[in-house]
Amino acid sequence: MADQGAADPGNNNNSKTEASEGTIIKVTVKTPKDKEEIAIAEDASVTQFKEEISKRFKAKQDQLVLIFAGKILKDGDSLSQHGIKDGLTVHLVIKTAHKAGEGSSSSTTASSSNPTQTGSSSTSSPAANPSTTVGSSGSAPQSTQTPNVLSGFGDLANMAGLGMSSGNFMELQQQMQRQLMSNPEMLSQIMENPLVQNMMSNPDLMRQMIMANPQMQQLMERNPEISHMLNNPELMRQTMELARNPAMMQEMMRNQDRALSNLESIPGGYNALRRMYTDIQEPMFSAAREQFGNNPFSALGGGSESGAQPSRTENREPLPNPWAPPNSSNPPENGGSTPGSGSNSTTGGTNPTVSNPLGISAGSLGNGMFNSPGMQSLMQQISENPQLMQNMLSAPYMRSMMQSLSQNPELASQVLMNNPLFAGNPQLQEQFRSQLPIFLQQMQNPEALSVMTNPRAMQALMQIQQGLQLLQTEAPGLMPSLMTGGIPGMPTAGGMPTAGGMPTAGVMPTAGPMPTGGSLPTENPATSPSSAGTNNAQQQLMQQMLQMFAGGGSATTQTPEVLFRSQLDQLNAMGFINREANLQALIATGGDINAAIERLLGSQPS
Amino acid sequence: MAVAAGSGVKIPRNFWLLEELEEGQKGVGDGTVSWGLEDDDDMTLTRWRGVIIGPPRTSFENRMYNLKVECGPGYPESPPFVRFVTKINLNGVHTSSGVVDMHALTSVAKWQNSYSIRMVLNELRRLMTCKENMKLPQPPEGQIYTN
Repeated sequence: MADQGAADPGNNNNSKTEASEGTIIKVTVKTPKDKEEIAIAEDASVTQFKEEISKRFKAKQDQLVLIFAGKILKDGDSLSQHGIKDGLTVHLVIKTAHKAGEGSSSSTTASSSNPTQTGSSSTSSPAANPSTTVGSSGSAPQSTQTPNVLSGFGDLANMAGLGMSSGNFMELQQQMQRQLMSNPEMLSQIMENPLVQNMMSNPDLMRQMIMANPQMQQLMERNPEISHMLNNPELMRQTMELARNPAMMQEMMRNQDRALSNLESIPGGYNALRRMYTDIQEPMFSAAREQFGNNPFSALGGGSESGAQPSRTENREPLPNPWAPPNSSNPPENGGSTPGSGSNSTTGGTNPTVSNPLGISAGSLGNGMFNSPGMQSLMQQISENPQLMQNMLSAPYMRSMMQSLSQNPELASQVLMNNPLFAGNPQLQEQFRSQLPIFLQQMQNPEALSVMTNPRAMQALMQIQQGLQLLQTEAPGLMPSLMTGGIPGMPTAGGMPTAGGMPTAGVMPTAGPMPTGGSLPTENPATSPSSAGTNNAQQQLMQQMLQMFAGGGSATTQTPEVLFRSQLDQLNAMGFINREANLQALIATGGDINAAIERLLGSQPS
Repeated sequence: MAVAAGSGVKIPRNFWLLEELEEGQKGVGDGTVSWGLEDDDDMTLTRWRGVIIGPPRTSFENRMYNLKVECGPGYPESPPFVRFVTKINLNGVHTSSGVVDMHALTSVAKWQNSYSIRMVLNELRRLMTCKENMKLPQPPEGQIYTN
């Protein structure tokens, strides 16, 4: 109607299209996303208008579709024909490949309308009519069709790929978990061995390892809970985390211990626990132990073989016993107990031993807790089954553990210093400390290792140890300063009353040279902490051995009284005031308090 | 300009339509529908044109649908006649003629005088996004109802 017309030259908003005739009008061009004001000559054609628009909106002219007042503006029309005047709004649709018609000034945003898009492109292909505006808009998609399809499929493929890769959500989660866990954990000194870290951070790997063990498989058959637990990535992850976080570990173990104690208080509960333990834990540990090759914590036939445990004591590994790395035999348990502790939480009542190793190994750094009855039983088991020892030692992790030990003499010394054996004897400590580097070196000695892995050799060593012990009790004065380096962990297996200290002593030095000397020290740091922790008898033995091999060390053979001083104190505290009886019991049991108590109780009751 | 909605005030037809015209020209709304007089010289403001942009993620996407809207003398008391020009496959639209069955447009089925062309168009567009419609196969682009 009205032509604003007349003069509006003031609008030199340069419409490049036609500046001369006609006035310039400002038309708002609106897309669903955007709005721009475009100045154009009043009598411009739609084409010219589109030119302007394409520049402004950065889209191709072919892609533009203009709508005004319900009509689609065809290229051939003029603006005035449609009554487009100053200040009015024209709708713009930028037809892009992906987008569904709703243009955006920035053209293609790959939307998820791929399927529809491909559909529409296929439908538009037959369309192919140029004439109408719709057609022109139709041609727009058509021209861009090829890239459409490709990009459509590409996008689709990408999305699918994305979906695929994350299709295995468990894996994805684990990966994330791993990353999350491994990064901060890398810094933590919980696990010295990067191998361990890697392994621990890969629950999948651990699970596979666990499951690959035929023993474990058997176990799993018998106890489906275990397989459930293993298969539950959540749980694995949790246990992994636990393993890495000593504080958490301790917490958890404490909880478990508490729960266990509750369980025990239930009539018949103890038996149930015990059963559970022997059924599940033991085989699991022995199985797990084999598995976790690269876990240095698995050294020392990890206290997993606490099989004898329940029979004796109230089964519990004491509350969180952080094991020193060399000490802890726990890596297998680590792994084994990771699921174990997982099952702990789930089944709510597996043996604390299960949890123990975990926490132990995790928090183990430098904390030697060798007094665990677990270790005792472990050593017993080892003695009963030399094979175990061999297995244990032949495991590569042992080597790595030793390596780490040797690389970190401080740690080793710390570990060893925690050994109660040395606790009361600073002299011995000194000795040991000085010997430490040698020990560590010798630990690396493959020969020593081979000796250790040789069951017969081990047995021989054990015999020697026993002989020494016997000797000591029989003739305390006979064994002068022994080198620190006695055969530790060989609990009294075959009682070997090798008569006469001399021959034994003679044997000793002969055995003393390289192999034994090597093996002894080798074993010593490794097993000594553990053994020392476990058996007082072993402490004794070790001490004797140490003394003997030192060939001149200071240590005088101590009287049983001196030796058992701490135990005596404990017994006293417990209420056994008969010192002599205590002493005898202690001697008889070789320093084992619990056994001594039983003995005492057995003798008393009447 | 806001119109007093619904009950009570009866807006004269032309006023109402003029307002709609203005709205159409100004591009009120989100730009997915457009309407205007078919013929600018139409003093009766009867024949209107509309364009609906096919919503994304439907089979209508990327398409623009032309419509004809006729606002009879009874408008806005009585609903307008709406028919598609561009061929479309949509529930409520006659396949052969493109005439829209107003009763199929649920929200405007019960016509009120406060309703507008804009609402009709929007409702049609919304219908396109309905589950039952969104995947309907569509005729090739550019086809129109001959009538």
